[in-house]
Amino acid sequence: MLILFQIFILLFAPFLFLGIINRVKAIWAGKKGSPIFQPFFDFQKLLRKNEVISKTTSFVFRIAPTFNLAAVIFAFLLIPIPSFGSTISFNGDFILFTYILGLAKFLMVLAALDTGSSFEGMGASREVTFSSIVEPAFFILIGTLALLTGQTSFASIFSMLNSSAGYTELIEILFVAALFIMILTEGSRVPVDDPNTHLELTMIHEVMVLDYSGPDLGFILYSAGMKMVLLAVLAANLIIPENFSVAYTAIFLLLIIFITSVLIGIVESLIARARMSHVPQFIFLMTALSFIAFAVVIFFLRGGIK
Amino acid sequence: MDYFLIGVLVFIAAGFVVIFIKGNLKGISFLLLTLTAQIFILPTAFQVLISGDSIEKIIQFSEPIGNAAFRIDPLSSLFIIIISIGSLFSAIYSFEYLKHYDKRKYSFSSFYFFFGLLSASMLLVTVVQNAILFLIVWELMSVSSFFLVSFENEKEEVRKAGIYYLISMQIGASFLIAGFAWLSNLTGSFDFNSYKNILSAQGTLSIILFLLFFIGFGTKAGFIPFHTWLPRAHPAAPSGVSAIMSGVMIKTGIYGILRIILLSGIPERGLSFFVFIISLITALIGILNAISQKDIKKLLAYSSIENIGIIGMGIGLGMIGLAYNIPLAALLGFLGALLHTVNHFLFKSILFYGAGIVYQKTGTRNIEKLGGLIKFLPFTSMIFLLAAMAISGLPLLNGFISEFALYLGMANSFSFNNAALNILIVVGFSGLALVGAMALIGFTKLFGITFLGNQREEHDHQPSEASSLFLIPMIFNLIFVFIIGLFPASIIQIISNAVGQFTQVNYSTELNSVFVVYNSLTKGLLLFIGIFLFFFIIRYFLLRKKEIKTFKTWDCGYQLESSKMQYTGSSYSLPFLDLVAAVVTQKTTVETEKEIFPSEAKLKTSQHDFVERIIIQPLLKYVRSFLNLFAWIQSGRMQQYILYGLIFLVLILIWIIGVR
Repeated sequence: MLILFQIFILLFAPFLFLGIINRVKAIWAGKKGSPIFQPFFDFQKLLRKNEVISKTTSFVFRIAPTFNLAAVIFAFLLIPIPSFGSTISFNGDFILFTYILGLAKFLMVLAALDTGSSFEGMGASREVTFSSIVEPAFFILIGTLALLTGQTSFASIFSMLNSSAGYTELIEILFVAALFIMILTEGSRVPVDDPNTHLELTMIHEVMVLDYSGPDLGFILYSAGMKMVLLAVLAANLIIPENFSVAYTAIFLLLIIFITSVLIGIVESLIARARMSHVPQFIFLMTALSFIAFAVVIFFLRGGIK
Repeated sequence: MDYFLIGVLVFIAAGFVVIFIKGNLKGISFLLLTLTAQIFILPTAFQVLISGDSIEKIIQFSEPIGNAAFRIDPLSSLFIIIISIGSLFSAIYSFEYLKHYDKRKYSFSSFYFFFGLLSASMLLVTVVQNAILFLIVWELMSVSSFFLVSFENEKEEVRKAGIYYLISMQIGASFLIAGFAWLSNLTGSFDFNSYKNILSAQGTLSIILFLLFFIGFGTKAGFIPFHTWLPRAHPAAPSGVSAIMSGVMIKTGIYGILRIILLSGIPERGLSFFVFIISLITALIGILNAISQKDIKKLLAYSSIENIGIIGMGIGLGMIGLAYNIPLAALLGFLGALLHTVNHFLFKSILFYGAGIVYQKTGTRNIEKLGGLIKFLPFTSMIFLLAAMAISGLPLLNGFISEFALYLGMANSFSFNNAALNILIVVGFSGLALVGAMALIGFTKLFGITFLGNQREEHDHQPSEASSLFLIPMIFNLIFVFIIGLFPASIIQIISNAVGQFTQVNYSTELNSVFVVYNSLTKGLLLFIGIFLFFFIIRYFLLRKKEIKTFKTWDCGYQLESSKMQYTGSSYSLPFLDLVAAVVTQKTTVETEKEIFPSEAKLKTSQHDFVERIIIQPLLKYVRSFLNLFAWIQSGRMQQYILYGLIFLVLILIWIIGVR
């Protein structure tokens, strides 16, 4: 049951996620927009295509997208799905979750430097800078939850959190807000990055993958969508109550993924991309939210939730 | 025990024998003797580590040393294994590395002599339990490594670095001498075990003593603010020596701190906080400075400081666990510290070996002048890449395993009623994540700029792949990097006895829960490899029948491509360094001609170690102005010096006749 549902999400969610964002943006701009399944068609087409590879590159460039894809899917398997359970769960699984995504980032960054292009070096440099703000903030969040619940794995943290009352709603709201900023950053969306820009100088993620084509580009496209989906599923764990039946949970979860993508579409339609020097300030918002969550736990819940 | 001591003697003998041998046989005979020493040392050490029973031998020396105990307990045996194997590999590497040098200009004999002496003294440091003898071998270690650092002593910067290193070591040693003198005065004994009562007592005295030892050993290990010798000595030393100094020798400082903790029993709560915080700062400042470096070996030296900080965080966490009686924190803290000691030895040696190969093949250590080396040195690059991933703490490799232990230990040490502890733990938690994220920046920079892309400058010769003697030590270390990374339970089983010495009580249930976690971690990692292979095969089939075209890198329509247009290391790290400009000061000076149409401009960037500028330099200024008061003593006149000797003799005579 769990595996079937996970495969379902893995197959459809990333493409629909990207499709919905584009559709929302189109509707907001008064246009009709491309079909929601357009990213899926693009993906299929890319898999059938040939590749052009820069002669500067080495094996790093060739394995990085596959590694990235495997890491994102593996990270998804580490996240529990409410009422369904999780594929692998052990104490400290959230550490592996963050670090496996870090591994993927390491290789993608090297792949960008591998091309010897100044544009891609620029993108890589920005990518690592911004992720150096996101990762500590994420650990403050998780540390706060571990402190609050006394648990050290995703599954037990969430089940403990959902079954207890008190200030936990406040923590959950802060957590979800922080996660949304993380989705925008890690998914390279406005205001951090604009995936639709046509100027290499202003891009982050898109510029890192300039030299990819064919199946590798398809893998990258899929991973980018999947990365946002898995963070949305992580947020869903905080929102969906413990005692829901499996069918309701499934619908609710898909709804949350849908809402997240609509929200990203709205954000992209409403605000412009931040100036590169202002992007860190936006991401520090996530750090601030995490610290507030932590302060709430320290000051109001120090007695611990029973 | 006898076998071990014979092994130590073989190391010393290896250095002596080489003096009397000529030509190529010099190195070979040294290697053979080092290999023989392993046969004596390793079985003993492994036996102690696995069985957990310590062995001891008491040797009688003349006064003032008296009876000196040589004891190998599991903690010592772990360090013995690292030192012994590390010496062998560095010897193999150095044998090949020295071929590059002119035999007539450099003294190979003295190199091998001090190399053998360094290995022997490091081995003895871990077993000697007598204060005076300990200080003797400790000094022997510093002095022999000083001669190794100043191997290329015709260069002025090498001589300067060597002297700086020697003075730092002496300052550190003076704290140790003070600590041991105080203790032996209080107890009237030089035996470590007799210090237990004083060190484990509550109160100011034991805290002051602990701090003396922490500074003394911390200078060797490279804790901030006593780290300034590392970025000077490592670039100056030949790479094999850098590898043994960074991978092995600085760990003797960690050993010393751990030994004092063992003698102190349950630590003071404040001290455990202190060690944890100073280590976190060490890790953060270390990696911050690493990011801004251009010199490969300087970058690696700062990253050694970072890793010492991570080991220190493990020690601090373990102390917190003991002080607050949190079994899992104590267990995972010390486990993480010892594991990271082993891990850092493995990957840092590889990185220094690799840096040495790059230096010999290209003639420069400046990463801004390198690039594209992966095409000329495919094997070296591959191994270097994996070691860089390991040191960044990425999964599948060993660095992740020890950092995982620390994270898990911290996540388990939250208490329900101690806000200070909770804040400290969350700061440590996110701090370690920040260190990891910065390590990712530093090592993508190091590998990406040096080995990937295009060659930035022409070298004298086209670099060629390193010879097999260079690669053997690296590959051997790499095998263990993978074994520990994928099957951590095996190594934890082996070192559990050493960890058990610290946790004192029997923590078998906690240890079992740790094994459960690590076994599921292994399963998870294998699943990840499975997923990767699955997609790798899919990619293979997707591209199988297609002809992959190669073309130049997308250049945005620009026609005149040049390898100088690539992103440089400085530009790569600039956005991040701008964020932390308050801590890492990067000074940029631009000189332009003041004309309407300036034709030439110069840009110079230099990095400053924040801690060195704020703490060390002012301190040195005050010390220097104080010591200037005594400058008249050293007048340079021979007559005056003879007079000093005479006055000294007279005073001694008066003291012996009159006072006694």
